Amino acid sequence: MAMTARQRAKVSLYVQAGIFVVVLAAVILAVDWKTIGTSVFNFAKIGPMFPDIFLVGLKNTLIYTALAFVVGLSGGLLLALMKLSSFPLYRWLATGYIEFFRGVPALLVFIAFGYGVPLAFGVQWDVNIVVMVSLGMVASAYIAETLRAGLQAVPKGQMEAARSLGMPHWRAMVSIVIPQAFKIVLPPLTNEIILLTKDSSLIYVLGLTASQYELTKFGRDGISSLGAGLTPLLVAGAFYLVITIPLSLLARKFESRSARTKR
Amino acid sequence: MNDVVNSTVRAAGVDIKDLRKSYGSNEVLKGISLTVEPGQVVCLIGPSGSGKSTLLRCVNLLEQPNAGTINVGKFEATDPDVDLNKMRQSVGMVFQHFNLFPHLSVLDNCTISQMKVLKRSKSEASGVARHNLERVGLGHLADRFPDQLSGGQQQRVAIARALSMDPQLMLFDEPTSALDPETVGDVLAVMRKLAQEGMTMLVVTHEMGFAREVADRVVFMDAGVVVEEGPAENVISAPTQPRTKEFLRRVLDPTHIGVEEA
Repeated sequence: MAMTARQRAKVSLYVQAGIFVVVLAAVILAVDWKTIGTSVFNFAKIGPMFPDIFLVGLKNTLIYTALAFVVGLSGGLLLALMKLSSFPLYRWLATGYIEFFRGVPALLVFIAFGYGVPLAFGVQWDVNIVVMVSLGMVASAYIAETLRAGLQAVPKGQMEAARSLGMPHWRAMVSIVIPQAFKIVLPPLTNEIILLTKDSSLIYVLGLTASQYELTKFGRDGISSLGAGLTPLLVAGAFYLVITIPLSLLARKFESRSARTKR
Repeated sequence: MNDVVNSTVRAAGVDIKDLRKSYGSNEVLKGISLTVEPGQVVCLIGPSGSGKSTLLRCVNLLEQPNAGTINVGKFEATDPDVDLNKMRQSVGMVFQHFNLFPHLSVLDNCTISQMKVLKRSKSEASGVARHNLERVGLGHLADRFPDQLSGGQQQRVAIARALSMDPQLMLFDEPTSALDPETVGDVLAVMRKLAQEGMTMLVVTHEMGFAREVADRVVFMDAGVVVEEGPAENVISAPTQPRTKEFLRRVLDPTHIGVEEA
């Protein structure tokens, strides 16, 4: 019996939904709920994590991310401008920097600036400084490429109009091109902040004191002290969403607002 | 402020000598010489690719010429040591695609370079900007954003923006080519008024009616050279060069329904 196109589409949809239900059921049946209940979803024992998960973990994650982002954004802007410079030396330096710090694992950068550089120069760095430098330097490499693309997406005529009004190049950049570029790069920039938020967990390779713990380290600490299996890590993980989801919502709001003024 | 209000312009002239410009091996300007007296209106006409826009863009050095000299008022534009920003303050430029700043309101488009470059106060800059927006008939749209305006309105804002720097010379690069036909007239009317007020104007255009009516001189360019120049009534109504005749025949009678030449 032949089916119409509409009937075929309907049947296909039912089949897809059926497959989804079967897979979900198989997973649920395969899980050892008893063990999971005591070692992953053991929420009865996590009381001692509060309120320090806010006051220490969440707070430090936010501080580390913000410090790295400030360095990353200013360094990234500088590198992006260098990459677009007409002076070859600047372009080479920026390209070399970006390729290096994008290519090397962030963890190694943390180790280098957490242990290597203090040893080499005989200095003692505060944790905040280490995060700022290492995570900030990695972030500037990524943000530089994002900003460069944004700056290049601003039509050439904007620079020409600004220059023909007598603005020097830097002034045209600051007042005309960069503000427009930022609007363009807002979505990918949000992405960078979210990646930074999670990468701030890499700081665990440094020896931290309890008051310097960020979310992941705080969760790992809970694993050994609370006897609730991996549950504390699960809770810490959920707190990352507390940061990243509002960030996404905020970015979407900005985006639709700038879309409205553009209309 | 007073000399702005009574609209008399301190006009500057342009003197171009043997100007050459190449892109790679492609020479687009093959030794152009052209003089525009202060207060004169000169229209550049010619087929696309003839180099007329490039010539215009060389005058305020948006394009760097390879050889030749350009003098604009008291500035020698082609002198490597010229203060380019200073020179450009006295040369207004209007683009085919307006190039308004989309992140700024109409008023801010007209004030930003006054404040950042001429260091005028916000209130003084606003005063000048509003005056020039009135001049182009758009005083009531000062608080809008560029993309809320029609093409013709945007182009008039672009003219007001250029005028707000008190230029002594205005360059127009096909100012009506990107416009809907019904908005062309408003832009041309503003330009006509500006010409009557004594502004020096160098205009790349395909509007033969405008050129015939407003231009003191018309320059016909083709393939990087000036083929013919002179008073508008001569060049447009009674061209002597075959290439000029051919071009005008195509432009004035695009459908070719007109009488074939015997």
